[in-house]
Amino acid sequence: MKSLMLVLAAGLAFHTAAGEIIVQRIHGDVSVRHGVAEGWSKVASGDVLRPDDTMKTGEKGAAVLVASTPAGKKTIALPPDVIVDMSDIRDLSPEDLMLKLTMEKVRASSYQWKNEDLQIPHAAVMHGADQAPASLHEGDPAVGILQFNGVHVLFTNGFYATCALKGMEILRRYPSLESGFDNRFLVAEALEKADLRGEARNEYGTMTAMAGLTPAQQEQIRARIEALRK
Amino acid sequence: MIGIGLGFLSTSMHGQAIFSPRSVATGSLGAGVIDVRGFTANPAGLIGMREWDLGVATSIATARSGQGFVFEGFQFGRKFLEQHAIAVQYTPGTSIDVDEPATVTVAGVNIPADRKISYAEPVAVAYAFRASDQWSFGVQARMRTETINDPQYKFQIKDTAIVPVPEEFTATSWYADAGIRFAPTENVTVSALGRGLFRATHGALPQEFSAYTLPHDPSLSLSIAASPVRRLMVGMEASTLKSGSYGMEWTPAWELSIRGGLYASKGESPFVYAAAVGAGWRYSIFDLDACYLFFGDQSSRRGLIPPISSLVGGVKDIGMNALTPDHLTIAVKAVLGRVRETLAKIEGVEMYGGIYPSAYESLAFHPIGKVHVRNISETPIQARATFFVDRYMDQPTETQPVYIAPEGQADIPLVAVFNEQVRTIPKMMIRDGTVSVSATVAEEADDKTQTRVLLHGKNDWDGDARSLRYFVTPNDPEVIRFSRDMLLRYRDSVSAGPKELSSFRNARVIVNAFAGKLAYVADPKQTADYVQYPSETLKLRGGDCADMTVCFASLLSSVGISTAFVDVVPPGRPDDAHIFLLFDAGVEAKFATSVASNPKRYVLRANKEGLSTVWIPIETTVITRGFDEAWTAGAQEYFDDAEVGLGLAKGWVRIVDVY
Repeated sequence: MKSLMLVLAAGLAFHTAAGEIIVQRIHGDVSVRHGVAEGWSKVASGDVLRPDDTMKTGEKGAAVLVASTPAGKKTIALPPDVIVDMSDIRDLSPEDLMLKLTMEKVRASSYQWKNEDLQIPHAAVMHGADQAPASLHEGDPAVGILQFNGVHVLFTNGFYATCALKGMEILRRYPSLESGFDNRFLVAEALEKADLRGEARNEYGTMTAMAGLTPAQQEQIRARIEALRK
Repeated sequence: MIGIGLGFLSTSMHGQAIFSPRSVATGSLGAGVIDVRGFTANPAGLIGMREWDLGVATSIATARSGQGFVFEGFQFGRKFLEQHAIAVQYTPGTSIDVDEPATVTVAGVNIPADRKISYAEPVAVAYAFRASDQWSFGVQARMRTETINDPQYKFQIKDTAIVPVPEEFTATSWYADAGIRFAPTENVTVSALGRGLFRATHGALPQEFSAYTLPHDPSLSLSIAASPVRRLMVGMEASTLKSGSYGMEWTPAWELSIRGGLYASKGESPFVYAAAVGAGWRYSIFDLDACYLFFGDQSSRRGLIPPISSLVGGVKDIGMNALTPDHLTIAVKAVLGRVRETLAKIEGVEMYGGIYPSAYESLAFHPIGKVHVRNISETPIQARATFFVDRYMDQPTETQPVYIAPEGQADIPLVAVFNEQVRTIPKMMIRDGTVSVSATVAEEADDKTQTRVLLHGKNDWDGDARSLRYFVTPNDPEVIRFSRDMLLRYRDSVSAGPKELSSFRNARVIVNAFAGKLAYVADPKQTADYVQYPSETLKLRGGDCADMTVCFASLLSSVGISTAFVDVVPPGRPDDAHIFLLFDAGVEAKFATSVASNPKRYVLRANKEGLSTVWIPIETTVITRGFDEAWTAGAQEYFDDAEVGLGLAKGWVRIVDVY
């Protein structure tokens, strides 16, 4: 039966156009979010997903996707409790990854405001500070965990560049996940696998300042840094 | 019965040579004219004046005794608007005055009846125009008078004696000359002068005196002057009158010049018939010049001379002819107005492009062009440049000083502080800009030049998203009034909800309010030429994508919301260039899910304080469908172009912060 499924999957994948992602098989709770829409909708086997779609599997859900990559068809298995952006199922060159990382740093820095010598002043200037207590809540970490599970899927399937980028983005959006050693180690390892050794070493380096590292974890980081120095 | 007899005795004659000792000593080279001195050799050289030139000259004929120094005359020149110069020369000393002694026998009585013949060129006026750094042109008019005072025809009896009654005949002519000066390099000057090209006469000598009329021979002279080494000028000139000259000027040190010249003519004997030596000394505003001119053949220059009527045919120039005696000339020239030495010279001006009024405030910092300056002194200088456009600038804008080594060159960037008047220019126009360079703290400039300045209309845009920022006017009263009115009108919905989302709610209210008033939204494609100011868009209730983006940026900025333009220029498809808006919802990244659960609907980026906040993309061309639709469209565009297409990383998507 498994062999038959593989043959069917291979045959179906053969007919997919380059860059397309086809839902080969689903099991349980699997939904998709199209583009920038807020809501999730059901997905069925054989559906063709767009690059701006996002797929989510539930607690007992699973899916198999077939993606057309420059290297050929690739089958990707989504385990339960993951969220994966289809735009991340692609290979980026080290140059593109480097550019993206640089741009992310620029976006995350106020340096960009210092580039222009002429600033148009606000007509409205707020003086003092609003002392009212904050009424918003941080994003639900559970959603962040689902997304980080998706990052693991990217890593497992060799999409190291998008794995690193997505991992950094999620850690920025869900600061509570940043304290997890495994999460950060995964991002650093993805950078290493994507051939950005310098960036990976920096990432490992910043991890040494994490609080609560066990001796084993410290040794693990030190070993990676040493390996990257060679 | 009256009988007439003529003698051949010169009693009072001083054919004075050319007015300027510098000019005489250097061979009267047209190419050697650099200021008012000797400008009649080529008026185009007047353009070399600094500002005001005033010269006075006197001379003494050394070959004759008893005359002493003669006042030659004075010259006055003025340069104006950098490209124009005028000069006038009054030279009463440039004349030939001859007494022809004669007696008349009346009834056997000899009565003295000397005939006085006078030729003069007392006035010359000139104008010069500099067409470029290489070319200049000049024209001049010279007045010539021919006067005969003859007492031999009328007599009257006075106290039983017969006395002659002098009768005077005068012919006046104006001659027009035209000159060209060409300086292909800074060391070489070529000039051409057409003399006597036109003549206008007033009156004429009677027929019986026609032998005394000077010839009118139009001529063309070509001249070249060169500086093969520094401080040395050599040159030569040739004329269609089969005459020529050679001259040089050497300035070894201390502003002292030594000069020498030779004159040759096929009609003279010997062929090289005259030589001149001279010296000049410059001190402060003064130029003191002296020269001694002497001739090889003295036969007609001293003592008895042949009848003047037999010589006039050979007189081509009243200042330099067969009757001109050896003489010493001394002159002083003063430079007025600009009294100091020029240290810096403008070699050229380059404007980087047109002036866009929308961005006029930025031009105080961003160079609009550059001036190439050369240090022509022997000491280091700190050169400053100024730029000025009349009417649109209140005063010239000065740059920071730039060090230039001796004989060195440097480019000085030009900046300009325009006034508000520039924002009233309705359409593109060209104006003259004045560029000055000064190497000292003195107010006067070492050098000035004019350059053409292209001033665009107030709504013109160069297509660069960074320039679009300058159309954003959050302080415009109409913008403020609109945004405040809307927030007041919808204050209930604005104030409801978490305070952290107040910017987001304010933006939603303002965008929806204006969207409801819009009459039209043009083609979403970017038009790289014309942009409306927000007040115009509010008044017209419509515009294209750039107009709308600018207007919404202004409205949001007017209530303290930071905005940015997203400039999209797809590679290979410039016609699909597009621009839309991002605004800062003011929500920290960790609260982003309060704004939208789908992270593709917002952009996380640092605000001015370095805090990562949620920025909302808005596609202004679908704004008529309301805030949420514009947000959805903007988010989709941003995700497709910046994230999937990697446009941001690869540079074809740019985010330009506005406020």
